[in-house]
Amino acid sequence: MKLASLEYLEEVRRRSNADPQYLELAKGHNASYTLVLEAEPAKGVNETTVIGFTNVDGKIDEVWVGKRPTDFILTAPYGAWVDILRGKMGATQAIASRKLKTQGSFMQLLQGANRIIRWVEILRTIPTEFEGDYAQYNLPGTP
Amino acid sequence: MKAAVFRGIGQIEVTDVPMPEPEPGEVLIKVAYSGICGTDIEAFQIGMYEPGLVIGHEFAGTIVETGPGVAGWRAGDRVVVGDLIPCGQCRACRTGNLGACENIYMIGVTHDGGMAEYVRAPAIGLYRLPEGVSMRQGALVEPLTVALHGVRRSRLKPGDRAVVMGAGPIGLLTLQCVRLAGARSVIVTEVDPTRAALAARLGATVVLNPLEDNIGVSLSELTDGLGPDVIFICTGAPEPFADAISLVRKGGQIFLLGLPIQPVEADFFSVVMGELSIEGSLAGWTEFSAAIDLIAQGRVDLDALVSHEIPLDEGVVEWFGRLGAPGSGAVKVLVRIDDSVF
Repeated sequence: MKLASLEYLEEVRRRSNADPQYLELAKGHNASYTLVLEAEPAKGVNETTVIGFTNVDGKIDEVWVGKRPTDFILTAPYGAWVDILRGKMGATQAIASRKLKTQGSFMQLLQGANRIIRWVEILRTIPTEFEGDYAQYNLPGTP
Repeated sequence: MKAAVFRGIGQIEVTDVPMPEPEPGEVLIKVAYSGICGTDIEAFQIGMYEPGLVIGHEFAGTIVETGPGVAGWRAGDRVVVGDLIPCGQCRACRTGNLGACENIYMIGVTHDGGMAEYVRAPAIGLYRLPEGVSMRQGALVEPLTVALHGVRRSRLKPGDRAVVMGAGPIGLLTLQCVRLAGARSVIVTEVDPTRAALAARLGATVVLNPLEDNIGVSLSELTDGLGPDVIFICTGAPEPFADAISLVRKGGQIFLLGLPIQPVEADFFSVVMGELSIEGSLAGWTEFSAAIDLIAQGRVDLDALVSHEIPLDEGVVEWFGRLGAPGSGAVKVLVRIDDSVF
């Protein structure tokens, strides 16, 4: 599945909502998120992609491709998202080092560190195709 | 080697980890002392560090090895390390706004830190400790830079009246920097009796207890009815942030040095009506040289802040629990890592 495609996002929702550990950590969490994967033409990623989702009591409720008003916006170059999914860089490390820019309550984001870490672990299980030069890092995924 | 490793919310472990090796442009430091910082305590409570991180960004030690390409430093040099090291290459750095670096290196936050027997660090972040500044004092350079940076960025002028809310390590250092900056009076608010007594000893004009004193009435009396010119908030508790708006004089400044974990409700109507300024500052990476000089000249008292000194392999985990709760009776807890240096 192509990273950040609607098909990919539906799989994110399915796997996240089926993971008891994630649901326990996310319980009571209600927020909406926009993720911006910035273009890197020099690396063969020509378009910026904007996606979003909502969390309702921890469960991922709605997913979409495009721009909608949300509580949080997380923005990073495409390669930074690839680094996070490959495990080369931790999500909280990316936020703290500002590689991942945030809009919304910074502290609320960091307070959800355990939830975010488990969520990224789930994302790493999804067979994922990356764009441009990053295709060499495609994730095989696990069922 | 032994190191204090962050494992997740409420989990710190002192354990054996692989010895770090300096990469090009880096040095390897044998750590003498490392301080437990309020930011580390907040990470312990809410989990804002990456699990597996070696904590510690307030430390001093001796270089034992230099990596390829390091010039001007050699084994035996006594050093401290800047807490924010900009990359020098991103958009923010290229426009001269190094503090907003988009690829910042924060030792003990984004990269392994110095609450360990050894730590590797970029040579560009090093500062030399002169003779007469002990390793123990060196471990307190970083918190002094935080206070100094805040006071230098603030609107405080000689002859102003200042308030410091919270007399933890940063508050007590801010108090001393405010005095150095020429304030005519520095009023400190603090509930903990140990910290309040220390604030008085370190030069506070008056120390008020928000649980016992009417801060609004007292500040009015102490400032001829005007209110203080600048209020420095040096606590993470939410109440002072809201209170400060009604306490500062019209046209005054509220300067934020504490990290509020919870969102704070504030009366922005009064901010507009009083033409108030609210500003914050992050760390103190530009102030290391000045801070070290002030210590060398004996113009700040750092030793008074150290309430407890513990070895790395005993008590670190316990102290993270204690410092996160009120009434710990501690001010600054230093972890002594190399017994041969003082």
